[in-house]
Amino acid sequence: MIEELLRNNLKWASAKARIDPEFFRRLSQQQSPEYLWIGCSDSRVPANEIVGLEPGELFVHRNVANLAPAQDMNLLAVLQFALESLKVHHIIVCGHYGCGGVRAVLDGKRHGILDHWMQRVQRLCEDHDGELAAIQDHEARINFICEKNVLAQVRALSRNPFITDAWKRGQSLSIHGWIYSIRDGLVRDMETTVTGPDDVSRLEPVCPKPRSRSRAAGKSRPS
Amino acid sequence: MSQTPQIEPLPAGLVHEPLNWLFAEHYRHRQLCRLIERVGTATILLREEVEEILAFLRQDMALHIIDEEEDLFPLLRRRCLPEDELGPLLGALSAEHRDDIEQTQTLSTLLERALIEGQPPGHDLETQRLFTDFALHERRHIALENAVILPIARLRLTPQDLHALSTRMAARRGVFLDRSDVALPLDDPDRSGAMP
Repeated sequence: MIEELLRNNLKWASAKARIDPEFFRRLSQQQSPEYLWIGCSDSRVPANEIVGLEPGELFVHRNVANLAPAQDMNLLAVLQFALESLKVHHIIVCGHYGCGGVRAVLDGKRHGILDHWMQRVQRLCEDHDGELAAIQDHEARINFICEKNVLAQVRALSRNPFITDAWKRGQSLSIHGWIYSIRDGLVRDMETTVTGPDDVSRLEPVCPKPRSRSRAAGKSRPS
Repeated sequence: MSQTPQIEPLPAGLVHEPLNWLFAEHYRHRQLCRLIERVGTATILLREEVEEILAFLRQDMALHIIDEEEDLFPLLRRRCLPEDELGPLLGALSAEHRDDIEQTQTLSTLLERALIEGQPPGHDLETQRLFTDFALHERRHIALENAVILPIARLRLTPQDLHALSTRMAARRGVFLDRSDVALPLDDPDRSGAMP
């Protein structure tokens, strides 16, 4: 019931005000988050909550499968604002195991516009075709690509002009790749933190195979 | 449950030794297998044993699969060298974990029904075979992990990896290991820090 949400909001705001009467006054004066979170739209991955941050402490951008394509105007607007106005010091790309977007790529079915959005992940599956073939279990394949997707987005961000410009300006900025499990509520650091242009080269490279050998990931394997 | 549990509790000290923890967990799985065979082939309902199996499958087994599938295996994929050739084996073990989840659901349904009906769960040979086959496959699976996965993990994982693994395995069970490595029970005054 939608009324329940409004009622919950009353409870939440009154509890906040009771515990800290200055909370909303402080919050309304400015936002100065240290972190930009790029996460998945999945409703089970509530960004603030899983890292124990309060409103005002995390600038959040979410989309299906936590992608960071340099052509996405939404992401670019968020990125520019986060870097140039908020001057965040950390960007966290947080994927999650069992991601529905990744699942859609690997199931070999048509999903409409989602297929267009997920083309980059489709390509990622093709690039890791050999490793995927060695994993018999469908869920484990999904999780493997979820991890690779986080690395790919960190890599993409580290080459994004807004980011490279920030580094050129001497701005302190790190990009982190994390993965979350809905099954235990825990975040795993993918050890892919990039703190400047010198770090970019040590990121695990994707080794694209000749296109003729690549196969559509979902269609080539039984699930 | 009034009688002594057939599956021993995990020693609390292992919380800081994740690979020994997993090894000990495998030993407990062997105890589970013995129990499952006994219950599945018994001609009477062993109520307390059934309840113990159900509790283990619901909690311990499920957490153990997460320990491996979403912690140890991804870590090993990152740490192992190409010559370790671990990818296909991890892939096969993941498939077995998937089978485990499906089979434990089947066994749990049979055990729950047995409790309701007051009848032994293995009422015919075909059903009994579900229990004995599960135990057989589980023992093979554990043997493979003990023989290959844990030794490679001991070789390849760093002290930092092991510490991170410990903290997550403990957190998964509601225990917070702070930086001084002291196990802090969460919101439960009755908990002494021993692993549940």
